[in-house]
Amino acid sequence: METFIQELVNSLSVASVIILMGIGVTLIFGLTGIINFAHGEFLMIGGIGVWVLVSNGMGYIPALLISVAFVAVLGFLLERGLFQFTLPHPNNGFMASMGLSIVLQHIVIRIWNSFQKSIPEPLPGAWQIGEIRFIKMRVIVVLITAVVVAITFLTISRSRYGLALRASLADRQTAALMGIPIGRYITAIFTYGSAIAGLGGALTIALFPITPFVGSEMIMLGFAVSLIAGLGNVAGVVGAGLILGLVQGLSGAYGTPEWTTAYTYGLLIVILIFRPQGLFGGTMGPAIE
Amino acid sequence: MAQWGRRLNKQSSAAAAVALTQPPVKKTRGGVRPSRELIIVAAVVVVAVLALPWMHPGYRLLSFAVTTCLTAIVLYGMAVPFGQAGIMSLGYAGLMGFGAYTAAILSRDLGMNMWQAMPFSALVAALFAGLFGLPSLRISGHHFAITTWVMCELLRITLVNGGKFTGAATGLDLPPTGKAFGLDMDKLANAYLLVAAFMLLSMLATYLIANSRYGRTLRSIRENEQLARSIGVNTDLHKLIAFMVSGVFAGIAGDLQAYSFRHISPDLYGGAVSMYFALMVMLGGPRTLFGPLTGALIVTFLPEVMRIDPIDSRIAYGVALIAVIMLLPGGIIAVTERGYQWLKGAARRARRGVSPPDVDSSPA
Repeated sequence: METFIQELVNSLSVASVIILMGIGVTLIFGLTGIINFAHGEFLMIGGIGVWVLVSNGMGYIPALLISVAFVAVLGFLLERGLFQFTLPHPNNGFMASMGLSIVLQHIVIRIWNSFQKSIPEPLPGAWQIGEIRFIKMRVIVVLITAVVVAITFLTISRSRYGLALRASLADRQTAALMGIPIGRYITAIFTYGSAIAGLGGALTIALFPITPFVGSEMIMLGFAVSLIAGLGNVAGVVGAGLILGLVQGLSGAYGTPEWTTAYTYGLLIVILIFRPQGLFGGTMGPAIE
Repeated sequence: MAQWGRRLNKQSSAAAAVALTQPPVKKTRGGVRPSRELIIVAAVVVVAVLALPWMHPGYRLLSFAVTTCLTAIVLYGMAVPFGQAGIMSLGYAGLMGFGAYTAAILSRDLGMNMWQAMPFSALVAALFAGLFGLPSLRISGHHFAITTWVMCELLRITLVNGGKFTGAATGLDLPPTGKAFGLDMDKLANAYLLVAAFMLLSMLATYLIANSRYGRTLRSIRENEQLARSIGVNTDLHKLIAFMVSGVFAGIAGDLQAYSFRHISPDLYGGAVSMYFALMVMLGGPRTLFGPLTGALIVTFLPEVMRIDPIDSRIAYGVALIAVIMLLPGGIIAVTERGYQWLKGAARRARRGVSPPDVDSSPA
């Protein structure tokens, strides 16, 4: 039983990273209609950024902040320079983002290399409660994720900005006529989603080593949680992320770790076919076409 | 060059406009008859492709030419559902994998050679193409693209975990091809000619499909699926058939690939490779006759000829792709065709001394 709870606790930190990825995807895909295949590369760059700064002698926390800021700026520039032009044709945006994903991945490989990268554990040690060991860094990752989720959820569902966002999702033209600056909102959402992906990467590298190829794996998990949950549904992403995190963690501990990804993908296909709007209900993306 | 795969109303309206002065356009069962330019360019391509081994290419160049042709076969298959029916799928590396693994397993367990295994490879890949296409009946667009990508990855994971049957992560080995048509297929030049011949055949097949009644049916699904259904087109069935047809291409390419490389492994057939296939088609232009070949040439062949570092070429490729999508929708060949038509029109006007522009600017 203790090991089970132990594994449960460990899976939570895996789930956290997946949730951070999923929130970005669900906000960007669900609210703006941009399908960003390169979102996973943002996570990878967030992690690689921390690795570069930490291995040049910087502390983990400033490295994390700089890295997240860098990814946010990158997201902002890409939205302004590329994705805003694809808004009327989401399919073009999808294709362009696949090209972008290749470009970002190979720029990182070109500057450094394609090997695994890791940093020394920023906060070593563990808290012992009864029989269960809580590895400190993992607990912190879970806490940070919880805070980000809470902020995002409250902003989307309770604030004026969230209301305006949802209005522009329901009817872009009417919302624009009501004086909602749609373009700026889309830029803001894209930048915010990118920053969260960067944060996810910066936290991931504190837990596991990463390679420049981690992005394409994570983006599929991001698509998986956001589509399983239902696009645009932030609370649903938490639910779906927990399910996938537990599946990953527990199948790693008890079942067949080599099939872990297959379970996730299988679930995604089944849900997409039988409940295209997602388990917890969401949109099918903004009505543009 | 012929504007095959375009909307059809152009031809019919043109026919109506000239009906007073000229005899009615000959019925071509939904296609456009090949223009003189198309025939000339096609002849040049055929000669160039088949003459390559006599131009003293090095071993390296020729082996990349083999890879390019194999890729082009899959891309011509993709051009049927993607270019004609307008459904993008990201599962084609997986379908190629079904063909390749079928060939390898049949060779190992039943001792079949390349030719005997080919129909089975094509059949297995076609069946799985139908399976990959099934979700398209319920979901469309990006959701469908993501589903097929995921299916392709599922195949890769299954191959890696398949134990002895699939050779796990190391993959399977194949025997040499042996002789065919009195030629020793273990000589690279002959192997190239075989693959190139199949590539030209797949090009012809795609052309014939696109210019048949069936191609017209598929285009009706692309242009307006609801309307197509309302006039009695069984869109579900035709989508699946289009996928299965493209699966035949991928299966044959897989069979040829297995025997050309003589070693296959799961990494050749993952989601990432599928993505590259989709992007190559986009780059060249899925609706044009030479688009898929151009895409394969630019991505697989050109960097090797110019000896660009593979990492650099990937970056350049990504940037080129983004540029094509943003600036040249329809792909490089479609834009070239439009440019050529415009030049031709301009030349004709200059000859006649007519000023009013009659430029064909209908979007592809």
